[in-house]
Amino acid sequence: MIIEIQSLVKRYGNLVALDHFNLEVSEGEIVGLLGPNGSGKTTLINCVLSLLKYDKGTIRVFGKEMRPDAYDIKQRIGIVMQNVAVFKELRVDENVDYFCGLYVKDAAARRQLVDEAIDFVELDAFRKFYPRKLSGGLLRRLNIACGIVHKPELLILDEPTVGVDPQSRNSILEGIRELNRQGTTVLYTSHYMEEVEQLCNRVVIMDQGKPLATGTIEELKAMVNSGETVVVEIYKLESEDLDRIQQLPNVSRAYYEDDHLTVYFDGGLHNLLNLLDYLKSREISFNRVFSQQPTLNDVFLEITGKQLRE
Amino acid sequence: MFGHVFSYRLKCLVRDRDLVFWTLIFSILLGTMFHVAFGHLTTESEKFQPIEVAVVDNEDYRNDPSLQAILEELSSAGQNHMLDPVYADEKGAEELLNEGAVSGIITAGEPVRLTVKEPGIYQSILKMILDEHLQTTKTVANIISRNPQVVSDLIEGMQSENGYRRDYTEQISFSGVVPNINLVYFYALLAMACMHSGFWGLRNAIDIQADLSDLGARRSVAPTHKMVVVLADSAAALVISFFEILILLAYLSLALGVKFGSQIGYVMLTCLAGCIAGVSYGSFIGTLVRGHEGVKTGILIGSTMAMSFLAGLMWVDMKYIVSVKVPFLSYINPAALIADAFYSLYVFDTHRRFFINIGMLCLISAVFCVASFAILRRDEYASI
Repeated sequence: MIIEIQSLVKRYGNLVALDHFNLEVSEGEIVGLLGPNGSGKTTLINCVLSLLKYDKGTIRVFGKEMRPDAYDIKQRIGIVMQNVAVFKELRVDENVDYFCGLYVKDAAARRQLVDEAIDFVELDAFRKFYPRKLSGGLLRRLNIACGIVHKPELLILDEPTVGVDPQSRNSILEGIRELNRQGTTVLYTSHYMEEVEQLCNRVVIMDQGKPLATGTIEELKAMVNSGETVVVEIYKLESEDLDRIQQLPNVSRAYYEDDHLTVYFDGGLHNLLNLLDYLKSREISFNRVFSQQPTLNDVFLEITGKQLRE
Repeated sequence: MFGHVFSYRLKCLVRDRDLVFWTLIFSILLGTMFHVAFGHLTTESEKFQPIEVAVVDNEDYRNDPSLQAILEELSSAGQNHMLDPVYADEKGAEELLNEGAVSGIITAGEPVRLTVKEPGIYQSILKMILDEHLQTTKTVANIISRNPQVVSDLIEGMQSENGYRRDYTEQISFSGVVPNINLVYFYALLAMACMHSGFWGLRNAIDIQADLSDLGARRSVAPTHKMVVVLADSAAALVISFFEILILLAYLSLALGVKFGSQIGYVMLTCLAGCIAGVSYGSFIGTLVRGHEGVKTGILIGSTMAMSFLAGLMWVDMKYIVSVKVPFLSYINPAALIADAFYSLYVFDTHRRFFINIGMLCLISAVFCVASFAILRRDEYASI
């Protein structure tokens, strides 16, 4: 077992940030911690890294108790923080070399690792750039390069794609998959369910410091009431119509957001037909219509009664 | 590991333009401003100008050889040139006084009279000269009347090289230099620059603590002993701040002509001790003061300016007032200790006062270091 957390409790005054949290991460896994902002993901990471004192519980990494002076364990961990943590006065290659030097003493080995890390995050063309000259996406890649340069056995990424454009995000996710293929165990936190769905073998859904559900993506989706979800692109929908749609046969829930009407059906037949008939009868013009598979957001909704991004 | 962290820290700090401005350029600009504002005060305007005085050229004056002799002595070119007498009749002398062309009128007679229009330093000097003259002539007359046989000795004595009066005290300058109170401004400026090394210490403290910066968090999870990082960072800050102070010292000395005396080794020792005090004070503020980086920076700037003010940076008399009214403050104010160390090196030819200053600086720095290291060595935080 790479990480074993048992009954971890962390309080900030009266606020319980982690409430008897349990987690196990096996070698070679990509485990996603999914939860809304403030659910305790970063607190959990900081406890695992021995940056934060906790009130109760045990944390073992690589089979040993994690302590602030457990340098042998720290040597095997790579960390990519939520915020970019690089020196603004050092160039890209200097930043990567600095952080590599904290783990690797041999200068020749360090040079090779730095080159590999810069190549890996595709920053070779920018290696002499100062961070202030890099775009947000490139800066995130530099942040990742600094975390992976020493080829860690365990990589912990805390929301590494916040504020990153889709292209850079895909590049980052592909990079993490590649690291995992090379043998790195990954603990990945995010509040972006799409990322977690794309990346992780196993997901822990958490809220208010508690793990609510754990399993593979398929296992979690199976927890959701297996019905039908239909999404219709509508440019204008009155609240009165939304109320009536919710009263159509088999509709369990409906909401209208960002020009999209989303309707959940419990089962039954001709659900789509009934919905379209209603829209036509009310002369509500609509564009595209498509059905949707259950998402992790649906799982979260099912468990907590609220949306992941609320 | 120490070398790796130290060399990169050196690069980081040297490239931090904001800090280089506040720790070096600002001091150079302020020094230049001081030089423009009062750098020449001691060269021209502070030189003593002979006093213009009207002397009534009447019968009494012509019959008073001793007065004539003293006026001639004090108006001749040389070290004793104190008076520029203008000889006129009584009416002309009054006109000169009314026009402000002279500071007073000397009228010979029994007694010799001094007429002035208003009180002032020149008038006081004139009065003092005449009082001295009267007292001397009375004394001589008294001696002659009581003991006429000593007249020849008296005349011989008066004609000798030292005259009839001998100085039993001699005015000398310490260390062979001319004391100059305006140097306090420049020494206080150097003290301020040393204390501004605190900016480096503050930045170090922020960059190493996980609860203050993301960089601190990232560096805290690395498998490097925290004290190695703290010491390497501090050493880099000290090297840069010492180098900056040497640049400032060279600028003040070579470009602006500020005198530091001839004991260059001790001057550099003062700079080094000042930089240690500055860097450790910055670390102390960075670790002890809770709050945002802006709050810490504000406290650092405010406190170093207050220290520099008390050391005489803005008002030179303040240093003296503090040393008289609140002497304890002079011993715990690092800026005052640094400024006084420079001043005592320049003025005194013994090192007792200098080493007291350096010793106190080292003691204060040690307190700052111990307090901040005790906090910096923490590895776990209650909140981040």
